[in-house]
Amino acid sequence: MTTTAATETTPSTGLDHLEIRGVKKVFGDNTAIERLDLTVHKGEFLSLLGPSGCGKTTLLRMIAGFETPTDGAILLAGRDIVSLPPHRRPVNTVFQSYLLFPHMNIADNIAYGLKQAKVPKPEIAQRVREVLALVQMEDFAGRKPEQLSGGQQQRIALARALVNRPQVLLLDEPMSALDRKLREEMQLELKRLHTKLDTTFVFVTHDQDEALAMSDRIVVMYNGVIQQIGSGEDIYANPHNGFVAGFIGKQNFVPAETVGTESGTARLRTANAIMETTSLDRRPASATGTAGTLTVGERVRAAIRPERMRVAPAAQERPGTNSARGTVMSVSFLGDVIQYMIVVGDNDEILARVPAAGNELLASGTEVDLSWEAEDVAVYDCEDGVPSAEDGV
Amino acid sequence: MSTQAARPTPPVNRSANTGQTKEKEKRPGGLSSRFFGASAMSFPTWAYALFFFVIPVALVIFYSFGYKPDQFTAIATDHLSFDRYPEAMSASFVSTFFATLRISLFGTFLCLIIALPFAYWLAIKVSPARRSLALALVMVPFWTNFLVRTLGWQIMLSPDGFLSQWMQGLGILDGPLDILYTRSAVQIGVVYNYLPLMILPLFVAIDASGQKLREASYDLGAGKVKTFLRVTLPMAMPGVVSGCLLVFIPLNGDYVTATVLGGASGSMVGQLIANQFNTAQNWAVGAAMAMILIVSTLVVVGLGFTLLKLGQTITARLNSVPLKDGRA
Repeated sequence: MTTTAATETTPSTGLDHLEIRGVKKVFGDNTAIERLDLTVHKGEFLSLLGPSGCGKTTLLRMIAGFETPTDGAILLAGRDIVSLPPHRRPVNTVFQSYLLFPHMNIADNIAYGLKQAKVPKPEIAQRVREVLALVQMEDFAGRKPEQLSGGQQQRIALARALVNRPQVLLLDEPMSALDRKLREEMQLELKRLHTKLDTTFVFVTHDQDEALAMSDRIVVMYNGVIQQIGSGEDIYANPHNGFVAGFIGKQNFVPAETVGTESGTARLRTANAIMETTSLDRRPASATGTAGTLTVGERVRAAIRPERMRVAPAAQERPGTNSARGTVMSVSFLGDVIQYMIVVGDNDEILARVPAAGNELLASGTEVDLSWEAEDVAVYDCEDGVPSAEDGV
Repeated sequence: MSTQAARPTPPVNRSANTGQTKEKEKRPGGLSSRFFGASAMSFPTWAYALFFFVIPVALVIFYSFGYKPDQFTAIATDHLSFDRYPEAMSASFVSTFFATLRISLFGTFLCLIIALPFAYWLAIKVSPARRSLALALVMVPFWTNFLVRTLGWQIMLSPDGFLSQWMQGLGILDGPLDILYTRSAVQIGVVYNYLPLMILPLFVAIDASGQKLREASYDLGAGKVKTFLRVTLPMAMPGVVSGCLLVFIPLNGDYVTATVLGGASGSMVGQLIANQFNTAQNWAVGAAMAMILIVSTLVVVGLGFTLLKLGQTITARLNSVPLKDGRA
């Protein structure tokens, strides 16, 4: 169904491949997706990233056809597919729990889609063999799914979707059931397949490492709203709002008050330090808020990445601007980095990560001076209802 | 039965303590005490099967070799022979036997094709909140006595019953409904009586086959019918098999339905057997008839299983992909 021989030769039309226009999804009283617009380019690896309940899976299921949007259009190569049932859409899904058919062997599982599309038998056999080679599972054609490990079932689920040559491959947290090592292997494998096949991948995950490792672009979602779209580096280095800043990577958020804005810098006062920042913008707490410029007297949140923190044993004199004195509460040696949890003042917990190379390991209980650069301080609205990373309040 | 009792005895754990095993094996009664322990624990199961299945069936087998000595004695076993079997296979018994088989097979088939869409609807379309209500409604007839329910059908199917009057009133029938005390009435009655026994295992099997797998099937391009035939039904096959067994076996031995609705022209083997035991007081011939029924039921079930396996093998062959290599 999903593909005919014609599909593989479908030329790039210049149209954006998959276009989601004003899609809204309401379940009862609960709005899962709020008027969402998104364009997926042909051949792109796009990740939908967000905490559980953010609407990413609902969006994927609407593309697959398992859910119908309450409003809006989903265009695939320029054609609205909303009215098409799942089995008539040229997309295939790799499911979270693989969902291989337990009563069929591996070859029959993979051939299932091709049979529905009435592909001639010799071609089916040929394509099943090819895709088994592609996922390096040639020797497993005659086995039953129950005889395979989780990672092997994962590969077969991938093969079963890819063999149909879908215009878009949808992946619904396909690796969440795998252990860490296997997951990292599969990430590389998936990236390799994507590069080789040039198929459009839409990948749903709550795991930012996974999204950062594989994606061309990441769509960060929260509360049914797109918070930011961009490359991994872009989202990490330049979060548009407090949610993204806290969700991607670790972040120290410190409540602060603006005490002065001068040429090119703003001064912030926190409970235990005076900060200077080169950022005069106040970014919103989430995508539904609005950005602005800092004004004196405003209560905000200052944010500094743990790896931007410098940690040194406490010096004689009190630290000045963009520094603070604290006590190491816990130390974790992570191999390449040392991670400190440092308590500043009464109970401001600051996370700091310093390279393991060239830095001595400071024991828990050591008094230390933290310091950072003005350009590493970002400023966000403090707004209720947006969770931040649990570290660094 | 003994196999069931013996099964729980765990294998001697040689791998764990090779050094001590020899000493343990020497200890008298090591294995047998374990055997008796397991037997004691499974007592309710084997006692039930022994007293309500093994002994009664053994008695029937034993009686079938006996004879009726005189008018006032039902059974004598001082002289054993196979003579009752030819005696039981009278022309009327044989014709009733095949009529019974036809009613049972057709009744099982009717139950299956009625129950299948219903169970599918119940398992897939009905919301979980409503499902228990629907299941309770399926079970409601069981709260009433089997005989009373069947008598209800006698009233309904009688020529001056309300069904007959309605059908005449609507112009479907010219004269009164002439169906009571025929095989058709028995057929309707058995389907009604045994339908829940088909619905329940089918519902459980379809419910367990999983909505997620159906989604996977839709995703791969199969429509609703294809998904049902290629995914839901094959996965619900154990339910189909147990439903057919649950309906066919008791239906084959049923005599209440036939007595109430069949009259003289719609009799079933069960009635003939009951007559031998109750009216004719000839337990030996009755037991021989019962044995013929039991064995033939087993043969039919065995044939059914063989056909099913054959069918599954053939469909698997037809549907599988002929890969030259890797088909291990």
